[in-house]
Amino acid sequence: MRSSLTRRGALGAAGLALASCGGGDPPPGGGPQPGSGAGLLSSILALEHASVAAWGAIAEALRGDALRYARAIVVREEEHVTRVTGLVAALGGDPVEGRTREEYARSFPRLRDEADALRFAGDLEQRLVRAYLDALGLLPEERQRRIAAEIAAQEAQDLAVVHVLAGEPAAPEPFVTGTL
Amino acid sequence: MSTSRRRLLLAGIAAVPLVARTRAARAQDTDVARLERLLALEHRLGSAYEAALRRDAIEPALGEQLHEHERQHVRGLEQALRARGGLEPRATVPLPELGASLASRPAFARFALGLEAEAVAAYEDALARLRSPRLGRPLGSIMACGAQHGVALRGVLGEPLLGPGA
Repeated sequence: MRSSLTRRGALGAAGLALASCGGGDPPPGGGPQPGSGAGLLSSILALEHASVAAWGAIAEALRGDALRYARAIVVREEEHVTRVTGLVAALGGDPVEGRTREEYARSFPRLRDEADALRFAGDLEQRLVRAYLDALGLLPEERQRRIAAEIAAQEAQDLAVVHVLAGEPAAPEPFVTGTL
Repeated sequence: MSTSRRRLLLAGIAAVPLVARTRAARAQDTDVARLERLLALEHRLGSAYEAALRRDAIEPALGEQLHEHERQHVRGLEQALRARGGLEPRATVPLPELGASLASRPAFARFALGLEAEAVAAYEDALARLRSPRLGRPLGSIMACGAQHGVALRGVLGEPLLGPGA
């Protein structure tokens, strides 16, 4: 496990998960059938909304190249929101919407400097990769799994960029967030 | 031979290639076939990094790390194949472009970046079509590592780490 996975960082990511998937978010609408994947996709969508806000907060603590990458990753996360929203809507679901930036910010750890920001970013991206990899074995439709796989690969790249910015190897482990 | 019998016979003969093609297509559309294809791609990547290390076409620490990852991926895929009664594919013929790519570190990084992108695309396709849900997470975990290799190789090339199409 990476040394940067500190207790504070992990708590921050856990707080983010609670903020994204907690009781305040509306449940999926009555349209989709049980087992359609709508519930799981809605949870992922809530996490993606939170990630857009989180990367915005992370960017505020970064400068130079790191800031440019953070801004690029915000755009990628927004694209993921659009893609997952499309999947939920295609199932007849009611895609969850994001909360305000202030609401999300309450669940983020304090980012005093670049090191704090990169730790939080690393924990966040690990959580995102894990969410998509877990979904791959659960989503029932080929199109859903294809999009989940494509986004998982992008999240893994984002995680690699965070590693590089923190002075670590881009790909430290042969199995990202798990083993065969 | 009556006309109707002759027609039936001709129809049967015509159907043989169709049946064979259908069987072949079905054989390709199995998790074992997908695992075998991914294993072949991992063997190819492993061979490429091994050759690059021998010819100093990659920085040694990075080359050793990426090569070791490919070895672990091969081991994992072989294990998954054996559990499903699959046959391990024979060693693949190296791509003709490999030789030229070993001329310099940037040339090899570019070549390896292409191989990694091809492998990630193959994993994405396999993951979409998988029959066994249990393979989703482990194969996704290897795919994610391949995507990270791409970032490392773009770093070698001095290119933006999140390249076009990334």
